[in-house]
This record gives sequence, C-alpha cells and structure tokens, in this order.
Amino acid sequence: MSEKHWLFIITLAVAAYSIRLLGLLIGDKIRNSRYSWMLDDLPGLIIISLVAASMADQSIHTWLSAFIALAIAIKTNHVILTMGGGIAAFVGLGLLV
Amino acid sequence: MQLMKHGAITILPLALGAAVYGFAFGLLAAQVGFPWWGVGFMSAFVHAGSSQIVAVEQFSYGSAVIGAVFAGAALNLRYIGIVASLSEILKDVPLSLKLFAIHITGDENWALTMAERAKSPDIGVKFLVGSGLVMIFVWTSSTILGAAIGSILPDLEQFGLGFAFTAAFIAMARGLWKGAAHLMPWAGAFISTMVVVMLGMPKAYAIVAGATVGLILSYLTRSRRGNLV
Repeated sequence: MSEKHWLFIITLAVAAYSIRLLGLLIGDKIRNSRYSWMLDDLPGLIIISLVAASMADQSIHTWLSAFIALAIAIKTNHVILTMGGGIAAFVGLGLLV
Repeated sequence: MQLMKHGAITILPLALGAAVYGFAFGLLAAQVGFPWWGVGFMSAFVHAGSSQIVAVEQFSYGSAVIGAVFAGAALNLRYIGIVASLSEILKDVPLSLKLFAIHITGDENWALTMAERAKSPDIGVKFLVGSGLVMIFVWTSSTILGAAIGSILPDLEQFGLGFAFTAAFIAMARGLWKGAAHLMPWAGAFISTMVVVMLGMPKAYAIVAGATVGLILSYLTRSRRGNLV
C-alpha cells in the first residue's frame, strides 16, 4: 500500500471520527441551529452528484443499466439487490448489444 | 453484561445484512488496489459503510485524497444527529467509554438501541456497545473476506464490476429520497454535475459544484415552504 493509500485511510478515519465527536460535543446545538437542514440535505445531494458524475461520459448501455438499477432500487430499496441487479443488467445488455 | 449480550444477540439478523454489504465493499476495494489488510484497517478505524464506498470510488478514479475524503465524510454528516440523539444514553458514562461507544455506533445498532429503549428504559449503553461490537466485528471481517477473495480474482471490470459503484450510489440515493421536496434540489445537483463534467472539469469539482447548486435550490425550496429548520 502506498503512502497515498495510508494518507487516504487515516484522513478518512479522522474525518469520520471528528463528525461523531462533533455530534457528542455540540450535536444538540447544531441540530437546533438554523443550518440543521444542511445536515439533512447534503448527504442526498452528494450521492446524486456522484451518480451524475459516474454517468456523465457513459454509453447508452450504461444509462440503460442505470435505469434498470433505479427501477430495482425504487421497488426494493435494498443496496445489495440493486447492485446485483444492476451488474446483471449491465452484463446482460452488454451481451445483447 | 446481560444487556451487552442481549444487544449482541438481537443485532445478529441485521449484522448478516451488513456482512453481505461488507463483502461486496471488500471485493470492490481489492479490485481498485487495496490489500485485504488495508481494507480491514480502514473498516475498523473508519467504520462507515457507505462513506467508505464513496471515498474509495473517488480515490480509485484519481481524485485528490482531500476530495475523496470530503465526498465520503459528507455522507456521514448524519452522525452528528445520530450521536447527539445518544446524549441521554451516554450521560453518566465515563469519557473513555463514550469515545469508544460513538466509534462503534452505526446506523443499525443505533436504530435498534433506540427502538428497544422505547420499549424498555433499561436498554442503554451496554446494549449499544454489545450490538456495536458485533456490528464492527462483522463489518471488518466481511470486508477483509471480500478483499481477500477480490484480490485473487481476475479483473472483474469486464463483468460489470465497475458499474457496481454506480448501482450502489443509485441504491443509496433511493434510501435518502424523502419525497417531492427533493425533486428540484436533486435535479439541479444532477444536471449541474453533468454539465461540469462535460465541460471537462475533474469529477471531484463537479460533485462539489453539483452539491452546492443543490444546497442553494434546497434553501430556496425550504424558504418557500417555510421549512428552514
């Protein structure tokens, strides 16, 4: 593992624990502040931006697979089923195209 | 001790679900170059499932460490609220145990502890720690197992494994969707991110730009609805 890998893991660990610590120390204050809505909204916005970033330069094949994965997600609301179904759709469509 | 054991046993069905998720994460992390012991180290010390997936995906695409960590950590912001909600449970507990308990608190054992506590006020920090220990052990070992198997498999990209990250993000988005109020901010974030990527900017910047546009639209939507709390 390179130095960059180590730096990545340690920085992520510090960031993740700092957020928990923040919750312990001033969680109630933040939750009662006028900015608390950001805590609720930011995770979803980051995730939808990640979906967009991973789809932006992709083929129609990937887009179709993503729509199938979305349909599975809407129906099941289950991460593993959506991943499994999405990969199956990606491979299946790849064989058809 | 009895309540710790009770927590450890009650969480087992949920731990099984986390094990499958952990195995899949380990497999993906190994495919993008993390050794099994590095994955285990990460899972034990970060202990944040979806954040780890997001951060590793960003890292594997060449994002700077800080960008990858930002994306992963942002997903974990909900823990400010989760840990804050434990204040009553952690009130009379020594500081060292508090610091340990917040690390082993995850979505599953937090939700279970709160649900059980609503039924019985005896449920508290011992139940939280018992269930948390099982969860972090299962999470760490399942990611190690996934990584160990992933590292001996051939390049799975041709079998659609690269798409697994996208599918995981889609599933996480579904879980975070809370209804029509999200439509405008999410659409704005999605379109903005796409535009920035198409303009040739790095994806890490596109994600920050998309999330920022989404936050602005969210602010406007909430202001109009009088829901800015």
